[in-house]
Amino acid sequence: CRSLAARLGPVCLDAASFSRRRLSFGPQFVYTPESADKSLGETSRMNLFQAVTSALDNTLANDPSAVVFGEDVAFGGVFRCTVGLKDKYGKDRVFNTPLSEQGIVGFAIGHAVAGATTVAEIQFGDYIFPAFDQIANEASKYRYRSGNHFNCGSLTVRAPIGAVGHGALYHSQSPEGFFAHLPGIKVVIPRGPIQAKGLLLACINDPDPCFYFEPKILYRSAVEDVPVNGYVLPIGKAEVLIEGSDVTLIGYGTQVHVLREVARLAQSELGVSCELIDMRTILPFDEETVYASVCKTGRCLIAHEAPLTGGFGAELAASVQEHCFLNLEAPVRRVAGHDTPFPHIFENFYLPHQRRCLAAIKDLIGY
Amino acid sequence: MLSTRPYKLHKLESGPASEAQVTSDEARKYYRDMATVRRMETAAGNLYKEKAIRGFCHLYSGQEACCVGMEAVLDRNDPVITAYRAHGWTYTRGVPVKAVLSELTGRASGCAKGKGGSMHMYNHNFYGGNGIVGAQVPLGAGIAFAQKYREDKRVCVTLYGDGAANQGQVFEAFNMAKLWDLPCIFVCENNKYGMGTAVERAAASTAYYTRGDYIPGLWVDAMDVITVREATRFAKDWCLSGKGPILLEMETYRFSY
Repeated sequence: CRSLAARLGPVCLDAASFSRRRLSFGPQFVYTPESADKSLGETSRMNLFQAVTSALDNTLANDPSAVVFGEDVAFGGVFRCTVGLKDKYGKDRVFNTPLSEQGIVGFAIGHAVAGATTVAEIQFGDYIFPAFDQIANEASKYRYRSGNHFNCGSLTVRAPIGAVGHGALYHSQSPEGFFAHLPGIKVVIPRGPIQAKGLLLACINDPDPCFYFEPKILYRSAVEDVPVNGYVLPIGKAEVLIEGSDVTLIGYGTQVHVLREVARLAQSELGVSCELIDMRTILPFDEETVYASVCKTGRCLIAHEAPLTGGFGAELAASVQEHCFLNLEAPVRRVAGHDTPFPHIFENFYLPHQRRCLAAIKDLIGY
Repeated sequence: MLSTRPYKLHKLESGPASEAQVTSDEARKYYRDMATVRRMETAAGNLYKEKAIRGFCHLYSGQEACCVGMEAVLDRNDPVITAYRAHGWTYTRGVPVKAVLSELTGRASGCAKGKGGSMHMYNHNFYGGNGIVGAQVPLGAGIAFAQKYREDKRVCVTLYGDGAANQGQVFEAFNMAKLWDLPCIFVCENNKYGMGTAVERAAASTAYYTRGDYIPGLWVDAMDVITVREATRFAKDWCLSGKGPILLEMETYRFSY
C-alpha cells in the first residue's frame, strides 16, 4: 500500500482505512485566494459563481441589448450563476429555454448575428455536443463566409466543465480540446473569481464568438475579494503565476491549483524550481509567454484533466517542441486524464493529480 | 374484471380495452414489483443522503406503475431503452435489487461493474441507462430497425421524458421510424418536470402523445398499472401487425429529483 499510495497521492487505498474514513474524490487542491488591482476600486467577497453573476449583472446594466438564457437560468441556475438577474432585469432579458442544446446555441447565434449581446448557458459542458454543429459550422464561420458582412461576435456561450468528485461520465468532461480546433472562435477558462469576472466580461465584449468554460469545482471552493464594478482581463494572454528556473508547468482552470502544489512539492522534495503558467485562453493561446518560459527552463510539463490523446496538451507540446527545440533538455511531457471515458468510481486514478505530475517532473529532471 | 382509466387518442380510430381481466396472482405480482421498486428507490435515496451514493441518483418513486404495467405485456426478448431515470426499469428487466444498489455505490458487483453508476445500468435486452436525454431515442429506432431486419417479431420500447421531448433528435427518430415502419413503441414518461422546469414553461405543446404528428398516439393515465398494461398490449399488437411505430404518453408523477 505504501508505494501505491505514494504514486497515487493523498488517498490511501487499503481496506482498513476505507472503512475508517470516506475516500475523498476529485481534484485535490487548496485554493489560494488572490487580490485584485487596487485601481479597480471597491471589492466584495465572492466565490466563482457569484463573480459570474456579477459580470452578468454589469453586462445587463450597461448594455440594453444584452440577454441571458439557458436551461433553468431564470430561477438562478443549477449552479446559482444567474441568481437575482431575472428579478432585476425582467423575464424578457433573463429566461429559460427548453431542453435543446442545438436549439439554444443556434438561436443564440441568430440573436447575436442580429446585433444583440447574447450570453447563452449550456447547463453542463458535457451537454454541449448536440450544439457542436452550430458552433463548428455556423458560429465559427459566420464572419469568414460572409466576407465580414455578418458576424456573431456578440455571442458568448458559458458552460461548467471539469471534475467535481462525483460527476462521473457526463458531468465531469473537459471539452476544450474539441473547441481549440475551430478557427473563428475563442475559448477561455478562468482559474478563480477575479479572473472569472474579468475574463467573462472580456468575452462578452470580444468581437468574436467566445466559449467560456467554468471549472465547476471552483464555483464554491474559490473565494476572494472581487471588484464590484466591471473590468476586463486580456484574452489570448497567459499568466506566469510562479517564476522558476528548472521546469515550466503549464495548466488551466482547476489544474493550475493542483500545479501550485506540485511546484511546492517539487521544491521541497526534489529541490526543483518550477515556473507555473496559467494559459487562461486556450484559443488563441499565448505562444510568446509559453515559448519564452520553456526556452528559459528547458523542460516542459503540461497537465490537463481531458484525455491525453488529442487533448489540448498535444497542440501545446507540438508547438513547444517546434519553437523551443534547441533549448529543450528533455522531451515535452503531458500528464492528463487517461484515454477512457471519465470514470464513475475510478476518478482518483484518472485525474492528473500531484503525484502523477511529480513523477513526470522526476523523469524530466533525470532525463 | 377491472376498468381501465380513460385514454386519449391521436390519429387512432379506437384505443385499448376499457376493461381488463386481472387474476389475483397477477395483481399480487404487480403490487409486489411496484412495492419493491419503491422500497429500492427509497433505500437509494437514503444512501444518497448519507453520501454512500455520490453523483447523480434519479429516483423512479411515483412512476412504478409505468414500468411494471408495461413489463406485464412485454417479454424479455422485447428490447427496452430509456434515459437516466432507469432504476425501476433496471429491476423489471431482471437486475436484482442488490445489483442495482451495488452499481449505485460503485461496487464491482454492480450490474455495470460499478463503472456506470445510476445513469448507466444495463442487462440483456435492456440498453440502459443514458445520461444525455433524447440521445437514446434514435438509438431505440435503430434497435427497432435491427429487429425488423432480422424478422424478430419483437417491439422496441424507447422511453424519454417530457424534457427530452423537446430535443431535435427525437423528431429525427420519429421520422425515420414512420418512414420505415419500424416496430418501435415510443414512450414519453411525462412527470410534469424537466429537471426543475415545469412542462408548461418548456413546451409549446404539452400534449406529448400528439407530438409524433404522423405517428398515432395514446395518452395514458400512468398512475394505474392496469391502464398502463392494456395500453401496452394495444401498442404491441399495433407494432407487430406491421402498422409501424406508435407513441404512448404515460402521464405520471415523481417524488424526487
